[in-house]
Amino acid sequence: MRRTREGIAAAAIACVAFCGTALAQSKADDGLAVGRQMLAEDNPGELWIDQGKKLFYEKRGPKNASLEQCDFGLGPGKLEGASAQLPRYFPDTDKVQDLESRLLTCMVQLQGFKREDIVKTAISPAGSRGSDVEALAIYITSRSNGMTMNVRLAHPKEREMYKAGEYLFHRRSGQTDFACVTCHGEPDKRIRLQDLVHMTDKKQIQEVVSTWPAYRGAHYVVRTMQWRLYDCFWQMRLPELEYASDVSIALTTYLHYQGNGAVIRVPGFKR
Amino acid sequence: MRKAWLKWTILGAPALIAAGCATYPDQPTTRQIAEKMVSEGFSAPMPALLKRLVQDKSQQICSRIGDAKLTQEEATEVVKLARESIKYPASGKLVGDWKRGDQLAHDGAGDRIQFGRLEKRKENGGLCQNCHALAPGEINVGNVGPSLTGYGLQRGNSEAIAKLTYERIYNAWAYSPCSNMPRLGATGHLTPEQVTHMVAYLIDPASPINQR
Repeated sequence: MRRTREGIAAAAIACVAFCGTALAQSKADDGLAVGRQMLAEDNPGELWIDQGKKLFYEKRGPKNASLEQCDFGLGPGKLEGASAQLPRYFPDTDKVQDLESRLLTCMVQLQGFKREDIVKTAISPAGSRGSDVEALAIYITSRSNGMTMNVRLAHPKEREMYKAGEYLFHRRSGQTDFACVTCHGEPDKRIRLQDLVHMTDKKQIQEVVSTWPAYRGAHYVVRTMQWRLYDCFWQMRLPELEYASDVSIALTTYLHYQGNGAVIRVPGFKR
Repeated sequence: MRKAWLKWTILGAPALIAAGCATYPDQPTTRQIAEKMVSEGFSAPMPALLKRLVQDKSQQICSRIGDAKLTQEEATEVVKLARESIKYPASGKLVGDWKRGDQLAHDGAGDRIQFGRLEKRKENGGLCQNCHALAPGEINVGNVGPSLTGYGLQRGNSEAIAKLTYERIYNAWAYSPCSNMPRLGATGHLTPEQVTHMVAYLIDPASPINQR
């Protein structure tokens, strides 16, 4: 099983890498699109969805409970369409939460896990079997496949998160003077050969928000939005973004709201 | 008359509330909320590294949202701060070794923080390749910044060009306030000596950048 998974991934990377170099100076994404298309029907991320489903219904943790009573905003255990409306305000925690921070709340409250234990392993090492949170996040998101992203800013705290996210997206700091917008504010840009998503473009931001969590070919694991943001701050030479921090939720609220109208289809595939 | 007044009050109240919600939170409130998030949302192996999150005056001015334009006063302030920041190498020599500059231009590593560790190397990479086209025919280069292919062929290698090039790498905002280009020397990412090697890489006639 594991060997097959790595085999598929290796083939995919080879193709993506080849197509990328062949296109050289011009826009590189056409070649990458070929690679993604090849994987669309056989994405290794599907294996994580099966694993996440198992973890969701299994009785686990010190309280020996499943996650079936977890409320992602549409009522306990209602998963269809739930992640399409995240992040959102939750009265019980009095916080705006994204999928992963809400998952943490449930794993702590319902199953009795220690928050710091889950956070420590939430982002898995490359080439590993992945973390529980990664598998659960992609399973829960997959239950919104085919549904339209519809993040609302009704509650004042949701508006605060959105505006803070917009502010943070443009906030320059550190020894590289980078903000998110430095690399993601213009069309047809690349870092070396990697295409950069133009996040202030409606179509491109929709493509992003509808395809996470995704199978990351170069890492042989499923990655989530929390990881994506963490990794950006790493490249910017900034300190480590804390898992499920308000900074991460603010940026996710900003990006997801921009992506409203996108049709969710996970697992995505990233290089 | 009295009824009309009542009617408009009843109809108007929700509209006013809606308008209030649409603009809440205002800019100062947003800034306060977001800056608190920044101070609580990151960790580092050494507390001193958290200072990287603190914006200097220029970064604050240059963090504009959407289409907000830089005013003349702001641009002048950023240029002034940039000019004051520029330090020259102890040797006074602004043109170093283009071969070392070539290596630095293609090195994107150094000083990143991951899994509770700081990536410490002998020196930081110059990051050029990430954003600029370099020697002719090089494929694995970015396009966030302008092409540097033939930089010296177009400008020559006079003392004036060497100085301009040094200053633009050390602190690009002295010439283009708030551009995407990192202030590589001024923020401490590169040393003055490293910048002289990059200058050589850009203007030395023997450098791969300047081959046809």
